[in-house]
Amino acid sequence: MESHWLSLFDVTINFDQSHLFFPRIVTWVLVILLALILLSRYRRVIPALKHTGRVLAGREGEFDHKRFFGTLVLTTGYFYLMSVLSDVFPNTGYSFLIMSVVFILLLSLLYVDHLTRRLFVIILLNALIAPTLAWYVLAQLFRITLP
Amino acid sequence: MDILSHLTPMFFGLIAAGTLVGIIFGAIPGMTATMAVAVCLPLTYALGLESGIALLLGLYVGGISGGMVPAVLLNIPGTPSSITTTFDGYPMAKRGEGERALKVGIVASIFGGLFSAAVLFFFAPVLADFAIKFSYVEKFLIILLALTVIASLCSNMLMGIFSGVLGVWLSLIGTYSITNGGNGEPRLMFDFMEYYLIDGFSLLPVLIGIFGLTTVLLDAEKGFKDETGQGPIKLKGGARFSFGIFKGQQINLVRSSGIGTFVGMLPGVGGSAASVLAYSQEKNFSRDSSQMGKGAPQGIVASESSNNALTGGALVPLLSLGIPGDSTTAILIGAFTLQGIQVGPLFIGNNMDTWYLMIIALVAANFLMFGIMYFAIRYIAKVIEVPKFILYPLIIMMCVVGAYAINYGIMFDVWTLLIFGVFGYVAHKIGLEVVPLIIGFILGNSAEVYFVKSIESYGNLTIFFTKSPIAVLLWALIAVSVAFAIYLRVCNRRQPIVES
Amino acid sequence: MKPFWGSTCLALLASAAIGLTTSAQAADDCPLPGNLRVVIGSTSTGGDTYQNSSIVVDRLADKLDINAKVDAVGAMAAFRALERSRRGNTVMIFHDQSYLGNLYGVNGYSDIFEDYVVGPTIAINPGNAYLVPKDSPYQSLEEIIDAAGNGKEVRVAIQPGGVSEIGFSALKNAVRLKYPGKEDNLVAVNTGSQADKNQMLFDGLADVIQGSVQANEQYTQLPADDQKAMRFVWLTARHDTIAQANEEGMGNTTREQLLQYVEPNVHVPMNADQDFTFDKEFFFLYNKDMDPAAIHCIDDALAEIYDEGEIQEQQKRAFFIPNFKPSQEAAGYLKEKRDEYATILDNLKG
Repeated sequence: MESHWLSLFDVTINFDQSHLFFPRIVTWVLVILLALILLSRYRRVIPALKHTGRVLAGREGEFDHKRFFGTLVLTTGYFYLMSVLSDVFPNTGYSFLIMSVVFILLLSLLYVDHLTRRLFVIILLNALIAPTLAWYVLAQLFRITLP
Repeated sequence: MDILSHLTPMFFGLIAAGTLVGIIFGAIPGMTATMAVAVCLPLTYALGLESGIALLLGLYVGGISGGMVPAVLLNIPGTPSSITTTFDGYPMAKRGEGERALKVGIVASIFGGLFSAAVLFFFAPVLADFAIKFSYVEKFLIILLALTVIASLCSNMLMGIFSGVLGVWLSLIGTYSITNGGNGEPRLMFDFMEYYLIDGFSLLPVLIGIFGLTTVLLDAEKGFKDETGQGPIKLKGGARFSFGIFKGQQINLVRSSGIGTFVGMLPGVGGSAASVLAYSQEKNFSRDSSQMGKGAPQGIVASESSNNALTGGALVPLLSLGIPGDSTTAILIGAFTLQGIQVGPLFIGNNMDTWYLMIIALVAANFLMFGIMYFAIRYIAKVIEVPKFILYPLIIMMCVVGAYAINYGIMFDVWTLLIFGVFGYVAHKIGLEVVPLIIGFILGNSAEVYFVKSIESYGNLTIFFTKSPIAVLLWALIAVSVAFAIYLRVCNRRQPIVES
Repeated sequence: MKPFWGSTCLALLASAAIGLTTSAQAADDCPLPGNLRVVIGSTSTGGDTYQNSSIVVDRLADKLDINAKVDAVGAMAAFRALERSRRGNTVMIFHDQSYLGNLYGVNGYSDIFEDYVVGPTIAINPGNAYLVPKDSPYQSLEEIIDAAGNGKEVRVAIQPGGVSEIGFSALKNAVRLKYPGKEDNLVAVNTGSQADKNQMLFDGLADVIQGSVQANEQYTQLPADDQKAMRFVWLTARHDTIAQANEEGMGNTTREQLLQYVEPNVHVPMNADQDFTFDKEFFFLYNKDMDPAAIHCIDDALAEIYDEGEIQEQQKRAFFIPNFKPSQEAAGYLKEKRDEYATILDNLKG
């Protein structure tokens, strides 16, 4: 009798399909939780979406478009050009070095508020020295592979 | 005694050098202890066994400890196991108590490190025999116990659990890896994504993306208005450090170090689970945990003592079973085999001198770590005075290095950084909770393997309850942990909370 | 904005100049880059692939006077990196898994003989082993085959889809030859790392595990009453391979003792007149479009290194068996090896 009851919990997993077993459970739990969230807060969802839209379009709230999207564009460009350039200088880390100098300089200039001559020199030196130091120590001394 | 001849100034010099380099690696967001050990491994060929061990153990201890620095000062965990340090460390730093938080962390670290070294020295073989009582079933329950922390960490239960499950879901993207005994088939993605995602998203790029890049994006959105060359956070102010903080923390120290040592001992469970478990146990069982998550030193104590206790713990299975307890000790195996030393159950008996030297090196590395960190901290803490227009570009650059280097040079890991940086930003905006998400992501893979393999092995779900007394005990802990989380929540609800 | 652009351009030019000078200084008649990246099919820097590769690559770099670095990126990432590197800046070192993964139909493994150029072999890891608990009823591999043939289920813990499974498949094939139709009594328990396989044995969930001489030898030295104690039943290596190992063998097990567990003492028929053996061999893989002159160059450099005779000592100390075959010979040899194993797997399917 007992063994019959226990056999209710028998589960066999076909090895060929075992990659789907756990993800399926997790996906279902996720969907149920999402449904619960939407049900319990549906009244707040649509206004929140509208609010986000307005903020992104710059009609409401404090949102620094230049710096936010600038960061995204610069970072994407940095990563993209780094991978392109690393085919030009393979296995040397030069691509990382060159692109990091450019990226750090541009991002610093994007972020700084009141650019003075003194600040510019600091930023420029930082953009030149920091990546060079990182590249030298990591790629040359520790022989870490860099793009 | 033959080993005395090895205890030269050179030996301790190498430990110190290793510890220092390790701390630097750990302190740079994106660089980890594992990486430090990996890059220095080739040096050990030339150094010979004893000196090589000195260097590597220094790197290991230093690397784990250094992880607290960016966790406290920048809210970016330097290594995955210091994620829980950010919960209380960063709020303290924001109050101007960065230096205090770091000192608390260092003291907790050395305690955890020495505790685990002592456990390693006195009990290694016994504990190894105990650790092999943990099969897939018990390991799954440990992971489940660690996941229950989500219930006590989130600010909204439903969103928190959803975020945690989403984290698990994200970690499953990729193939069911054959190195874990899976069938190597991809899931949770479209065919065209297979080229990039066949190995899934790596933990480190995800972590530094969500913590590092997201922080930059959130600040960029606000436009750095308060930036006039001065950092936003005051270095001084707030309470100062004194050892009085540790009054009443004895239980916490011992419990957290014990958890760290023990989790470190279980191969495959992974270091990050240790600090998560220790943190949640402190939250559930301490007399007053109301301030945890808002800048309570006890949180840092739990996190840092447990993650440093990993070092000794992870060496237990390495030295008494020949099996690495974590990714860093896996590299140590390489160092041994390169020197012609075989690791396995007979290691300690066959290599007494090496064994004593390792314990001495481990203890020395902890003291040296303490010395270096304690006095360097006032300078390190200045990092938060660096203006953000200088600091943030550097952080992104170092995150790139870390992401690219973690798997020895894969460009997709750098893109993962960006993807999860943006994802973290969006998550923030729509009210997903990042910490449960990351915890889910960290533990998801192990949860799958242990769960599926348990069922494959036993074919019946009841095995999770009936496998062994250990399993029953773990269920009890899980039940208590969940009950406490709910109890605390109900209690807190009675007090008015001012939140958004 | 002018000074800023000026300096960036300067930095760019300067860095470009450095780049050109170093990459142009590779050895005279060798069209190899000054910085060679060697990716391996394993993610572990503590494993045998990394160890072997770093022994060989260090010497190769010295010989060719170039910088070379081993990167443990893992199989999939390594194949990708290799595909992208038409100019031969990246080469790969891997072992039999590279074609066994394809034979077992593991996702992401293509036919290496089609898609890449197979380069020279460098060494053998002779340690692939099968073990039972010390108190196991099975005294030898033959008893295991007989037990399976007589209807008893024998569970073997392996990592699916490659090097760890091939011995299991051969064993299954041997049961099929001796007791047709009974081969399904040999059951694979699919698991992961060596730790997981050992754990399967401790938990009593497997009767036999795949392991290695290096990782498991100490377990065989434990007293019989220790629950962790194990016993070798089979080393898949050829007799000649083990015979080349240092006399001390590994740990407390001498070469003489190891030889008990290889053919012809242990007998796993592959077909009517041949025994199955498996040596885990490490070899280079190149991009399809790699300059043949560069391939030649690596072949020649390796030939010189192996002629000097030092590398053999170093490899043997690390329990590897030196096994240099130049590209042409290696490719033909490995293809033949692959075809043999393909037959076994086909027989089992049919």
